[in-house]
Amino acid sequence: MRVTVDVTGEGVHEIDLERLESASPTYADLLARIELSPHEVSVLVDGRPVPEDAPVEVEQITVLRLIKGG
Amino acid sequence: MTDLRLSATQLERYSRHVIMDEVGPEGQARLLAGSVLVVGAGGLGSPVVQYLAAAGVGRLGIVDDDVVDRSNLQRQVIHADGDVGRPKVESAREFVDRLNPDVTVEPHELRLSADTIATLPDYDLVVDASDNFATRYLLNDYCALEGIPLVHGAIYRFEGQLTTFENDGDGPCYRCLFPEAPEPGTVPDCATTGVLGVLPGTVGCIQATEAVKLVLETGEPLTGRLLVYDAMDMRFDTVEVRQNPDCPLCGEEPTIESIHDVAYEGRCTLSAD
Repeated sequence: MRVTVDVTGEGVHEIDLERLESASPTYADLLARIELSPHEVSVLVDGRPVPEDAPVEVEQITVLRLIKGG
Repeated sequence: MTDLRLSATQLERYSRHVIMDEVGPEGQARLLAGSVLVVGAGGLGSPVVQYLAAAGVGRLGIVDDDVVDRSNLQRQVIHADGDVGRPKVESAREFVDRLNPDVTVEPHELRLSADTIATLPDYDLVVDASDNFATRYLLNDYCALEGIPLVHGAIYRFEGQLTTFENDGDGPCYRCLFPEAPEPGTVPDCATTGVLGVLPGTVGCIQATEAVKLVLETGEPLTGRLLVYDAMDMRFDTVEVRQNPDCPLCGEEPTIESIHDVAYEGRCTLSAD
């Protein structure tokens, strides 16, 4: 399955799950592929966050960077 | 009930509001009778304070425990060179005093905590212009539990994020998006990475816009939508944000029922005791 990862404000990545090392890739695996840490972002599916250790089951995800500056 | 009478001076000062059907004398009177708490008198807080004061929001609470540093002046436009070393809330109060005599500033020179937030007077709404996760999560939890609208803004290098949590029971809260704060030290701040000086001006002005609309009870707030601004590519993206049934604060089985349940440090999760 090919997953579209939209890192909001930064760009879109297309990732083939079959090319990841894990047999059952998680959202954390997707983030690792684009060099993001689960600590610094939230992964949204249909406007809601999903656990980083959950298996990827959708073709479109949104990644939001957690920022604190003011 | 709001007193609709505006003085001749006020009719002149706010004439560009008064002539608009969406505001009018009633709306301006509502602004003059309104109150907003601005948490943070730094990069975001500066334009928020500036425009809310200019708009004639009658009572402005300003929270900040910091003093003006010379490195702030590249973006924190209500403070000036002569304010270096002074409390930001005092510098902000003097700025507003010079700008608009209709506005009463209530400076709160303190660090917000679960204890100190309860000492503040009531305000119609809160603008989050803070620069740390402890304050952001505390404000979110407090406003959600108390049903106070919260206008959120945050900045990072060339990027800004904004949304409005109306906290009327229907929309999401900050924890719906980010259930817990990140591990300390994993997310850099402006002092580490830098920030484009004009960036908080753009983001703060949109926060002020949201606040004015909320006081006026007009227009469509950024509820359920996170606006992401990329200054480098000059793009605005909107991300749909929905209420999260697993949210620890406003979900179906909430675990946070009071701000005193939470340790507002580290990951801002439930206290161990």
